Amino acid sequence: MLRHLHRTVNLFDTAKYALFLCLLAGCNRSSERTQVQGPVYYERDDPRSLDPALSTDVTTGEMIAVLFDGLTQFDGDGRLLPALSDRWTADRTGQRYVFHLRPGVTFHDGRPVVAGDVKRSFLRVLDPQTHGGRVWPLLPIAGAGDFADGHATDVRGIQVLGDTAVAITLTEPLAVFPKFLAMPVASVVPPDVPADFGEHPVGTGPWRFVAWQHDDYLRFARNPNYWGGAPQSDSFTVRIVPEPLTRAAEFLAGRISVAEIPFGETAKWEQEHPDWLKRKPALRDTYVALNNRRGPLHDPNVRRAINHAVNVPEMLRSVWNGRGVAAAGSIPPSLGGSDPTRRPYAYDTAEARRLLKAAGYPDGFTVQLWRSGTNVELGRVAQAIQAQLATVGIRVEIVSRDASSQREAVRKGETDMAILDWWADYPDGDNFLYPLFHSASFGPGGNYSFYSDRVTDSLIMVARRTVDQAAREALYRRIETRVFDAAPWIYLWFPVDLWAEHPSIEGWDVSVIFNGQRWTKVRVAAAR
Amino acid sequence: MLRLLGSRLLATIPTLLGVLVVAFLLLNVVPGDPVAEMVGERADSATIARLRGELHLDDPVPVQFGHYLWGVVRGDLGRSYITQRPVLGDLAERFPKTLQLAGAAMLLAAACGITLGVLAAIRPGGMVDRFSMLIAYLGISFPVYWVGLLLILLFAVALRWLPPSGYGGIAFLILPALTLGTRSIAFLARMTRGAMLDILPSDFVRTARAKGLSERRVIGKHALRNALLPIITVLGLDVGNYLTGSILTETIFSWPGVGRYVLLAIQKRDLPAIQGSILFLSVIFVLVNLLTDVLYAKADPRIAYD
Repeated sequence: MLRHLHRTVNLFDTAKYALFLCLLAGCNRSSERTQVQGPVYYERDDPRSLDPALSTDVTTGEMIAVLFDGLTQFDGDGRLLPALSDRWTADRTGQRYVFHLRPGVTFHDGRPVVAGDVKRSFLRVLDPQTHGGRVWPLLPIAGAGDFADGHATDVRGIQVLGDTAVAITLTEPLAVFPKFLAMPVASVVPPDVPADFGEHPVGTGPWRFVAWQHDDYLRFARNPNYWGGAPQSDSFTVRIVPEPLTRAAEFLAGRISVAEIPFGETAKWEQEHPDWLKRKPALRDTYVALNNRRGPLHDPNVRRAINHAVNVPEMLRSVWNGRGVAAAGSIPPSLGGSDPTRRPYAYDTAEARRLLKAAGYPDGFTVQLWRSGTNVELGRVAQAIQAQLATVGIRVEIVSRDASSQREAVRKGETDMAILDWWADYPDGDNFLYPLFHSASFGPGGNYSFYSDRVTDSLIMVARRTVDQAAREALYRRIETRVFDAAPWIYLWFPVDLWAEHPSIEGWDVSVIFNGQRWTKVRVAAAR
Repeated sequence: MLRLLGSRLLATIPTLLGVLVVAFLLLNVVPGDPVAEMVGERADSATIARLRGELHLDDPVPVQFGHYLWGVVRGDLGRSYITQRPVLGDLAERFPKTLQLAGAAMLLAAACGITLGVLAAIRPGGMVDRFSMLIAYLGISFPVYWVGLLLILLFAVALRWLPPSGYGGIAFLILPALTLGTRSIAFLARMTRGAMLDILPSDFVRTARAKGLSERRVIGKHALRNALLPIITVLGLDVGNYLTGSILTETIFSWPGVGRYVLLAIQKRDLPAIQGSILFLSVIFVLVNLLTDVLYAKADPRIAYD
């Protein structure tokens, strides 16, 4: 028996050495793999595709932004800048635009960009055969709807003027249209797009495509001929890391360059690594859509009462780790048209009870609050709201579903209340009014509270047609004041993004909009 | 044996058909709209309606199923609604990675679990026994998620011996394999110990010892061989589970395997990807079960299937 044990122990020794050797070999390999010259970013999931026509989510949009350009683009602060079009003119009404192409721009394969490419790219997005799913940024173009429905063979609103300019005529004036063209889906692609374009993209952007291992990583190389100045680094890698805590570990191990701080770890990072942290107010709303068509929520007084009964500053501090600014409207403070003088609904349970009594609900009522089971942080907010509304007699039943089920129910108007967030597609007040509060945007369009007000509708349309920026922003303020008073939401907060940047990284900043980051100025300074 | 294989393979066809029908019906009653996931957060109703029509989502369910079945028969699992890539290609790309992880985890589990179990059974109640059963208890009790993160913190962040996550050489495999294997090690150790304790007092073991065989031969050749059946059962079940994707482990370690593919497909209601994955994974499961049965016969010649 003893002899047997001795042998086993010897076996264990052997195994131990073998493991040690494996570790050594493994470590060597791992350091080989991390020796990349450029910054390393991450995404939560694999992008849908690298074809701009399929760009309907943030992940895909971020990748499209480094590979492709549109006629216009956003910078990290959300300003509209020229891109493939270096200048454009609009007629007095804002209905016809002429975009002049920047001379000398070529695709990654060397072909020059011509005006015909712009038209072909837009037609491709609208073409029913593309099955992309995001056509709305191009639908304002005259004839685009008919083409998308298969009723026309051409889009009459897009006119190619030689090789160097495109004229675009809209069905009606739309002052923010140049911002629509900075969205990933409006990127310009080369002619004769092959069937596997989504796997082997060719664009004009600062980075050329090198490799994509699904669910693992994407690799890009510097485009030395980039019109906006070649990137500072030779390569750019994007890893797919789904778990937030793993991302934090990857960051601490020096294998990714920047990382968003997981919510639960906010205080820890603020204490341990304050010099690595970067904050930026995001163009994003966190809110609870109150279904304006259901039961007691139909009454504006009830909705105001709910807003008064919720202690937003307290929730922001305790549940949201202070990563936000209490909202007094839907337009984020950094955008023109937001009103810094407007005050949020005050936390006042007495006022809430008075309003409920006036509305005929002295004993409160029961409502459902939907939350997505995949978003833990919003789930905690939902619980806090439940507890606070209970103090004024409103009994909240929390319904937890997966994101897809919740989205379907919310869009069909089957939820009383739903806790949600709204990400900007384009940095403009319009993006926080038309989709969220115009009655034409009910359901899938973004108006999840089914708020309907003819005056608001017409004011929004007037604003969309108003070319003068200051006048438009004044209208935004007026609209928002009106909507805020009707309280179609529980106004919670505008989130502030909190990221850590590795000390070796230079030239990076948090972008307020997902496609405003092109990684051109980012460098890895010291050895990682 | 060949006849056995043939008949068992034939018998899998109705099983797989049943799986397809059930999966198809379930996906039709689950709330959530694949088109809503395709179009993203903001869309116009006309686009949604058009896409539903183009994808035949408004056809009657039997018609949809007929379409799908016809594709499957021709070896075409369809294209993902979300990525527009062929589902079979996506699975073929990810399965070898899942296989690699499952294989490593099982090797680890078999090597450590059986060794621990045998050592524990040799002297029940002794130090080795208590130690290995402690490990087994811990291994069964700790959630995979927790073990994974702890391993990352220790080996990748604190010691920096191994990369925290990702796919690559052996270094990337160690932590996820350990995480995935922990439960199996624990389970196998307990199972082996139990089986060995049943076998060791048997007459044939005493005879073997009386013949003057070395203890190693008695344990390794006579006792362990007879204790193998339950061990193979556990191994077979675990391999089946691991090969069909270990969603938690793959997620924590950013491992690009089948589990994450299925998870994302479900989250996005990507019907062709979900159905294709279910079918593919059912085939794998059936094959592993078949292999387990064959191994039974190899381990114990008394088992005859004919």
